[in-house]
Amino acid sequence: MEPLIDVNCSAMECTSLLASAPIWQDILAQAMTGEVLAAMNYASLSEICDDPAEVADALEHAEGELGHAASFAAEGRKIGVDVANNVDAKHWKRLREAFLRCIAERDFIGCLIVQEIMLESFAVASYSRVGKVARGSLGETFARIAAEEEDHVDHAMSILRTERALDPQRFDDKVYRLHLDVMTTLAQMLAKECRDGHCEVCHASCVKPALFDVSLSAAELRGASLQQYLKTLDMLGIPGEVTLTWVTQLPV
Amino acid sequence: MGDSVAGVATRARTSEVDFALIGHQESWRAAADVLAVLRGPERTPLPDDEIKDILPWIPPRAVCHVDIGSIVGAKARGLYIDSFIPPDRLEAAYVHENIARVRGAAACAIKAGAKIVSLGGFSSILIEGNFDQLPERHDTVFTTGNTLTVAFIVQGIKKICALEGRNLRRSTLLIVGATGDVGSGCARCLAPIVSSVLLSARNVERLRRLAAELQADGVRVEIAADLQRFSAEADVVICAASLASSSLLLGRIAPHALVCDAGYPKNLSPRAEMLGVTVFFGGLGQITGGMKFAPDFRGVLNRHPFPDVVHGCLLEGMALALDGRFEPFSRGRGSITQERVEDMETIAARHGIYLAPLYNADGPVEDGLLLPDGMGVRMSAGIPRGSGPAAPLS
Repeated sequence: MEPLIDVNCSAMECTSLLASAPIWQDILAQAMTGEVLAAMNYASLSEICDDPAEVADALEHAEGELGHAASFAAEGRKIGVDVANNVDAKHWKRLREAFLRCIAERDFIGCLIVQEIMLESFAVASYSRVGKVARGSLGETFARIAAEEEDHVDHAMSILRTERALDPQRFDDKVYRLHLDVMTTLAQMLAKECRDGHCEVCHASCVKPALFDVSLSAAELRGASLQQYLKTLDMLGIPGEVTLTWVTQLPV
Repeated sequence: MGDSVAGVATRARTSEVDFALIGHQESWRAAADVLAVLRGPERTPLPDDEIKDILPWIPPRAVCHVDIGSIVGAKARGLYIDSFIPPDRLEAAYVHENIARVRGAAACAIKAGAKIVSLGGFSSILIEGNFDQLPERHDTVFTTGNTLTVAFIVQGIKKICALEGRNLRRSTLLIVGATGDVGSGCARCLAPIVSSVLLSARNVERLRRLAAELQADGVRVEIAADLQRFSAEADVVICAASLASSSLLLGRIAPHALVCDAGYPKNLSPRAEMLGVTVFFGGLGQITGGMKFAPDFRGVLNRHPFPDVVHGCLLEGMALALDGRFEPFSRGRGSITQERVEDMETIAARHGIYLAPLYNADGPVEDGLLLPDGMGVRMSAGIPRGSGPAAPLS
């Protein structure tokens, strides 16, 4: 389904990137942190792969994610801001820890579910939204990276579908366990307001209330991310009524 | 994994689906109640603003399983699929977005292997037009369900006249939205048994065609695109169109008129200044052979003051599934005839699907009817609703 809120940005609506640089700085910092964390996850994944081709794949993915992080940093420089990342920020740290638990169990499928189904859904949806409202190369970079992340998901999808076909109940139970762990954290990150303190990525106060100034909103980014997540779970073949219950039970 | 989630997951894989019902919520209150059931009693219901933020992003999907039974022992298994059209986005400005949502819901039904699909409310637009807007499918058939809706409207009109001691043959019948599939079907069924018919709709050419068809059978017919032209003349009214405001009709209606609110959502409410006008919600039936939802959405998806009451459009798919007749019984616009209505009534009645008790926003309109939860014969305000937050959603 197409996005359901029109965010097409007219020249009047789009504020100057320079004027809104502090907002973009925080958006870029969140994106860059996500990319660095993804690179770390793929590097960790390479350590539990037995097949040399899978090792090479994981390392290539890690390299790609670092490239994305570098692209975001470069976009920051263009508008005169330093883009920092903080993979130890509270939410991102929890996401990394969830992934590392799968690594500790040498759970290759679990790793793919966390990174490709959950974290990438968030990345693809939010980057796409940002790509539509950000002007010039900033918007182009977000849109390009969103498309590249979607390719990752497609690649993982065939592996995961094959895995699910072996034992759907077991597979769905695993997805649900990981959902409770990872998506609960993501839902807290995506809440309209950060009620439990500073996220440790934004450079000053929380960026969420200011997103309206760049034609975005926290509610829209959350909605788009959850929509993308549900569609990805649909593609895996998990019944829609089941995933609907999962998502509606997330914290807001 | 919680029991309910695990249960649904297992059911989804092991059960065959005979029918699917595609619908959408008529109000934010109804949508809130659905989400409250999905969240479960142990979680705080979502605040109103969160519901309005989240619901528009939910892709069409199954919400629950529906098992039904017939009085002759037949059983059928189905799915309720919600298109998640936001209740405040039903107007024309959102038509393309909403069609995309209903197509998505139809794709879910096809993927689930439903043999027959009933299209409730706005959803019927997929097969009412001149072109097929359905996704590619093989063995799944679709019905608007409008024939059974017409049957229950007509039965309701006859029943209310009998209850009120009116002679339908001496009545002037006004049909608002007369050129629609439901409105024209009602016209064909009732025109032969009333004194005269007033047809109102926006499209004058279609009105002329319908009037000519009825006049050929000797019926006295007048047409008008302007509802106000003759609403005061009618003593029996079927409102088969969504009105921007109920006062457009009820504000000028004749005292003591009998009014069937056959639209969706139903928004004609009797008001103090219209004392004497009797409004009832039309097109509703009751399935007496049993209906179970999993998870339990009783009183939430079917928000009526009596048990197992469902819109006729959805009941048509259930009746056909119980009868093993997987055929697109109602499709297109303007082809509902009295013969087809009688056929559908026979199929429905064979399986114990009958006209629901008549009620309106204030409660039952049949004296002596007791509500199942002992709320009395006539409620003073509002019909009972499902569980959920009591926040001011409209």
